Amino acid sequence: MNGVPVSAYLALALILFCIGLYGALTKRNTIIVLISIELMLNAVNINLITFSKMGIAPSITGQIFAVFVIAVAAAEVAVGIAILLALYRNRKTVNIDEMNELKH
Amino acid sequence: MTFSGEFLAFILLALVAISGGVLLLNLTKVVHMVVALVFTFISIAGIYILLSAEFLAVVQVLIYSGAISIIMLFGIMLTKHNDEEEATAKGGKWRKAFLLLGVLAFGAVFYAGIYNLDFGSTPVALHENNAEQIGISLFSDYVIPFELMSVLLLVAFVGAIVLSKKDEEKEGEKE
Amino acid sequence: MENAWLIPLFPLLSFLVLLLFGKRLKEASAYVGILLTLASLVFSVIVLVARLTDATFKAEADWLQIGDLQLTVGFEVNQLNALMLVIVSLVSFLVHTYSKGYMHGDERFPVFYAYLGLFTFAMLGLVLSPNLLQTYIFWELVGVGSFLLIGFYFNKESAKAAAKKAFIMTRIGDVGLLIGMILLFWQTGSFEYDEIFASVHAGEVSGTMITLTSILIFIGAVGKSGQFPLHTWLPDAMEGPTPVSALIHAATMVAAGVYLVATMFPLFAASDTAMSTVAIVGAFTAIFAATIGLTQTDIKRVLAYSTVSQLGYMMLALGAAGYVAGVFHLMTHAFFKALLFLAAGSVIHAVHTQDIEKMGGLWKKLSFTAPLFLIGTLAISGVPLFSGFFSKDEILIAAWANGNYVLFWLAVIAAFFTAFYMFRLFFMVFAGKERSDMKKVHESPFTMTGPMIVLGILAVVSGYVNTPWFGTFLGDWLVDGNEALGHGHIEGPAWIMIVATVVSLAGIYLAYLMYSKKTLARDWFTSRAPTLYSIVVNKYFIDEIYNSTFVYATKAVSLFLRFIELFLVEGLVKSVTGIVKGLGKTGSKLQSGQVQTYSTVAFVGLAVLLIIFALTGGYF
Repeated sequence: MNGVPVSAYLALALILFCIGLYGALTKRNTIIVLISIELMLNAVNINLITFSKMGIAPSITGQIFAVFVIAVAAAEVAVGIAILLALYRNRKTVNIDEMNELKH
Repeated sequence: MTFSGEFLAFILLALVAISGGVLLLNLTKVVHMVVALVFTFISIAGIYILLSAEFLAVVQVLIYSGAISIIMLFGIMLTKHNDEEEATAKGGKWRKAFLLLGVLAFGAVFYAGIYNLDFGSTPVALHENNAEQIGISLFSDYVIPFELMSVLLLVAFVGAIVLSKKDEEKEGEKE
Repeated sequence: MENAWLIPLFPLLSFLVLLLFGKRLKEASAYVGILLTLASLVFSVIVLVARLTDATFKAEADWLQIGDLQLTVGFEVNQLNALMLVIVSLVSFLVHTYSKGYMHGDERFPVFYAYLGLFTFAMLGLVLSPNLLQTYIFWELVGVGSFLLIGFYFNKESAKAAAKKAFIMTRIGDVGLLIGMILLFWQTGSFEYDEIFASVHAGEVSGTMITLTSILIFIGAVGKSGQFPLHTWLPDAMEGPTPVSALIHAATMVAAGVYLVATMFPLFAASDTAMSTVAIVGAFTAIFAATIGLTQTDIKRVLAYSTVSQLGYMMLALGAAGYVAGVFHLMTHAFFKALLFLAAGSVIHAVHTQDIEKMGGLWKKLSFTAPLFLIGTLAISGVPLFSGFFSKDEILIAAWANGNYVLFWLAVIAAFFTAFYMFRLFFMVFAGKERSDMKKVHESPFTMTGPMIVLGILAVVSGYVNTPWFGTFLGDWLVDGNEALGHGHIEGPAWIMIVATVVSLAGIYLAYLMYSKKTLARDWFTSRAPTLYSIVVNKYFIDEIYNSTFVYATKAVSLFLRFIELFLVEGLVKSVTGIVKGLGKTGSKLQSGQVQTYSTVAFVGLAVLLIIFALTGGYF
């Protein structure tokens, strides 16, 4: 019933993952870094769901794991933004390259 | 392969998702970047439907396109909300090129692994009563992880409140 | 005699006590030093008296066991050792006493006494040693003591230089001694004197090896005793305080070289070449130093050169098989030269200058010092009835009897010179008109004159222990029971004694004419041979020659090595540190605290691994 091969979904996930990775490692704004990480998680979710439908042993488990991933990602974003705000109150900046306190 | 409607839908959604990602990298205003990513998230929800995961598609729209994007926007507004990406520092350019090479190599290696992949498996009826299937599986096989997840979310919730208490913002409550 | 080992320990105790409590004792530390050396002296005298009748005593204990080799430590009391013990401890005691007056008011007074204690300990240990190894240890300790005492006024640049020079020059000799010692050990398998002599006597060592080792040991003696060509340090050593000059550079340390040759005499006697080397070096040094002594104007330097000259005499005596003559002269010389130095110190103490050109007419002012100085001068000049006469006579007879006529006449001429320059010194200091700037001159305290009186008496009477007229008691005793040392007394023609007397009287008369009566102009000779004079007054330019050859060569080598150090070694070190530094800098740049940089590096590393994985198609 489907005309779209599994490799197309995986390739899409790969491209999104690479974009997310590049963004996470180059952007200076911490919020964008966080959101890039979300993008990478989404790419992973696409993979999970793809395999749940078209993997070696298709089953609902892939979708269950995607649910967990989404839940963890949500928690991560909540804590991440909270930390970011606390940092911003102290440092008056959201630039990640100015946050190098741990070096000292 | 046939030029089916499903394929057309996939191409469309994939294009929107990728262009959202590319816009994320290229836009200068932070708010615009987040908005661009919302498109990506929504089209990923569409992809989920194509992959017979209707429940997850709805969850994706609710959490990513709704909650997380809104939190991000709040975060931007509570900090320097009209901040722009400045020109990168001296060492940054070199690092970016280095990283780009690495990412491309990474992509190439994986693409070489997947471009001809076909498991040839028989399709399972995941789209029938999708939410029900998930519910049954979650509360039978994965009860303990599910309960642990609730603890995790509680901890994140309390932690977020503690961390940002002074501002009396409630961004952690959304979940 | 069993307790002879205690003798060196008293000065060591003095050294340690003064080192620890010197600051608190201040000038009272003199009493510590004096009392403890007095104890040494008493023990030494007891030992000597006991040795007069008893046999040689020797005690040893194991020290090290290395494989089959056994090294021992111990002490030996034979005739020579017993005699040296008394000489050293007596002179040391007198110098300790004398220094109490001489060094009065010096702020490092206790340190001075501590050094004196160390030196006395080393010297007494040296004369008690029964083997070469122990001798060598104390030999070096003596050198250290000498170094410390010469450089006592270390604020003075010249004193520092002199101390270093003395140390380095004697070190050169010590290397010879060390090599000789090791060769002997290799050949005979022992450091013990007795065993070495036994194996030499039994013919176990080849003739060449005997010659070689004895000459190497002689080089050590040359360094220590200031023989030509290593004599230059001795006059410079006069930078030390005068009592030190008396103790070290007249009576004891410089005699150590002579003592060593005397101790090793059986070895030397086995090689004609070695014997004649010793004799020739001795005779040459005797006349060589005497000529320099003719021209010097520093009171201590004149005495220093006369010391060098007299040591040459002793070497000549030993080289000419006159064992008794050499040791005898060593003893008499110790007394009269110590007397001369102490008297000179007294003069310096009184007039605060060492330049004899600025002195004169001190006879009446220094009513104790002047006659004592005269006694010393008469003794060293070999005037009959004084101790130097008998011992010098013995040496001349030994040289004649040995058939070294050239050396004999050299010694006679040196005797003439000695008489001349000693009386020149005497007349210039004590005779003539009083200088107007010498009004405040006063006699030294009794602590200084007392030791001088004792030495004065000894300088007169010590010759009578071995005379051709009243019996050769010392000589007979010294060689008793040991044929290798030769005869106690060598009969010589009677005219030698007359010649010696005439020669020394002639020298005195000439000095009298030139410096006291002034009937003969002082520059009578110098104006006739100015070149010769300038050569002599500059000590034959020996220092300059050394400077332009050995010192220069050493400096060139060291400069070369310094360049190696600078460019090769330093370059290596610098490049090593540079590499490390560079790595560190790069590393610390990576440690920028930028999370993104870290993760970039980590990710690119992962990518590289993946590529390798993909290309190789599996696990590497």
